[in-house]
Amino acid sequence: MGKVFDPSLIIEFIPTLVKYLGVTLEILVASIILGTIIGIAAAIPKLFHIPILKQIVTLYISFIRGTPIIIQLFLVFYGLPAVLSLINIDITRMDALIFVIITYSLSNGAIFAEIFRGAISAVEFGQTEAAYSIGMTPFQNFTRIIFPQAIRVAFPNIANTVIGSLKDTSLAFTIGVMDMMGRGETIIAATAHALEVYIALSVIYYVVVLILEKGFKVFEKYTNRYQGTDASVA
Amino acid sequence: MISISNLHKKFGKNEVLKGINIQVDKGDVISILGPSGSGKTTLLRCLNYLERPDEGIITIDNVTIDSKKVHKKDIYHLRKKSAMVFQSYNLFQHKTVLQNVMEGLVVVQKVNVKEAREIALEMLKKVGLEQKVDAYPLQLSGGQQQRVGIARALALNPEVILFDEPTSALDPELVGEVLDVIRKISREGITMIIVTHEMNFAREVSNRVIFMDGGVVVEEGVPNDIFRTPKEDRTKQFLKRMTPELEYSI
Repeated sequence: MGKVFDPSLIIEFIPTLVKYLGVTLEILVASIILGTIIGIAAAIPKLFHIPILKQIVTLYISFIRGTPIIIQLFLVFYGLPAVLSLINIDITRMDALIFVIITYSLSNGAIFAEIFRGAISAVEFGQTEAAYSIGMTPFQNFTRIIFPQAIRVAFPNIANTVIGSLKDTSLAFTIGVMDMMGRGETIIAATAHALEVYIALSVIYYVVVLILEKGFKVFEKYTNRYQGTDASVA
Repeated sequence: MISISNLHKKFGKNEVLKGINIQVDKGDVISILGPSGSGKTTLLRCLNYLERPDEGIITIDNVTIDSKKVHKKDIYHLRKKSAMVFQSYNLFQHKTVLQNVMEGLVVVQKVNVKEAREIALEMLKKVGLEQKVDAYPLQLSGGQQQRVGIARALALNPEVILFDEPTSALDPELVGEVLDVIRKISREGITMIIVTHEMNFAREVSNRVIFMDGGVVVEEGVPNDIFRTPKEDRTKQFLKRMTPELEYSI
C-alpha cells in the first residue's frame, strides 16, 4: 500500500533520479557500440553465405528475437559464471553492470545484424557493377558506394532499436544494477511513494527519448537528401 | 587494339557464348545486333569482367587476360581500360551528378580533386548537363541520367566505351537525346562497342556491325552490307523483323 499521492514529490524525486541517468546511458551507449560490432560480424556470414557460420548466426539471431530480454539477462547473469566456472574462471564477483552490457550488446547485435544485412542488400547491385566497371576494388565499392546508402535504409530501424534499448535498460535493476530504475526502487522502498517515483521516471525516460528522436530526425533528413523531390512522401 | 578470341560463357547448362572471335581497331564504332538472348550483353559484360568467361582470351590495349589463369590484378587493369554505360544507368544515387563523374577519376585514377572537377565539368558540358551538376540522379529524367552515365564513362578517358543497350530503359521521347550524345562522341575518334536495338542508329553511327545469334557471331561487316545485303538467313530474318521499312532491300 502506498501513501497518499503527493505531486510535489515528483518534482523532488526527479533530480535524485537524474543523477543515475549516467548509468542508464552508459549501458545504452556501450551496448549500442558493442552491438554494432557484433551486428557487423554477424551480418557478414549471412551476406557472403559462409557455410556453418551462417547457420550459427541464424540460430543466434532467431534465439534472441524469440526470447524476452529479461530472460536473456538472467541467462547471462546466471549462465555465464556457470559456464566459465567449468574452465576455472570465477566471475561471480564481477560488477552486475558488465552482465547487463553483455546481454544488451548480444541483443542489439542480433537486431543490428538483420538491419545491416537488409540495408546492404537493398542497395541495387547495378551500382556495385558500375563501381567495379570503373575499376574500384570491393573495399572501395563498399566504403564509398554501398555503405553510405545502406545507412539511409538502416537508419530508421537503428533509431528504433536505440530507443527500444534505452527503455529496456530499465530491466537492469532486476539483477541489482543501480541505474535510474534501480534508484527509483530504493526510493519506493524508503518512502512508499511508488506512483510519484514512476511518474518521475516516466518523465525522465520520455524526455530522453524525445531528445533522441529529435536528433535522429535531423540525421534522417540528411541521409535522405538525395532521394528526389518526394522524399517526404516516401 | 581489342581482341577477343574463342570466348565461351555458360550460365549453368545454358551456353550463352559459344566461341566468340572479334577484332576491334582503335577508333572503331561497332554495333552488336541480335535477338534477345543471343549473348550480346554477356559478351560486353565479359569484356569488363563483370562476367567471368569460362574460356577465351581478351586483350584490350596492352592488357591480356586468359580466363584460364586470371589474377585479380589483371581484372583491375582490364577494367581500367574500358568504361561501361549501363542499360539502367547505375548511377551512384547518393552522389551528385558532378560527384558521379568525378568518382572514378579521384578514387581509381588518383587525379587530384581540382583537376577531376575540371574534367568532370567538361564532360558534363559535352553531354549537355552543365546546368545539372549539383542535382542528384533521382532528380533527373532517365535520359539525363543516362547522359550522366556517358559522362562518367568519358571522364575516365578509357580505350573503349562499352554501351549496354543504353536506350532500352528509356521512354521513347527520351531516346533521341541520348542517341544524339552518343552520335556526337562517336565523331571524336573514341572506340566504342554498342549493344543496341536501335537499328537506324546502329546503321548510321557505326563503321562496323556485328550480328549475333545463339551465342555466335553470325555475320559482320560495314553497315551498308549488313543492312542492305545480308548474307546469312538468320540476319535477314532478324532485320526483316526489326526494320520492316527496309524490306525492299533485303
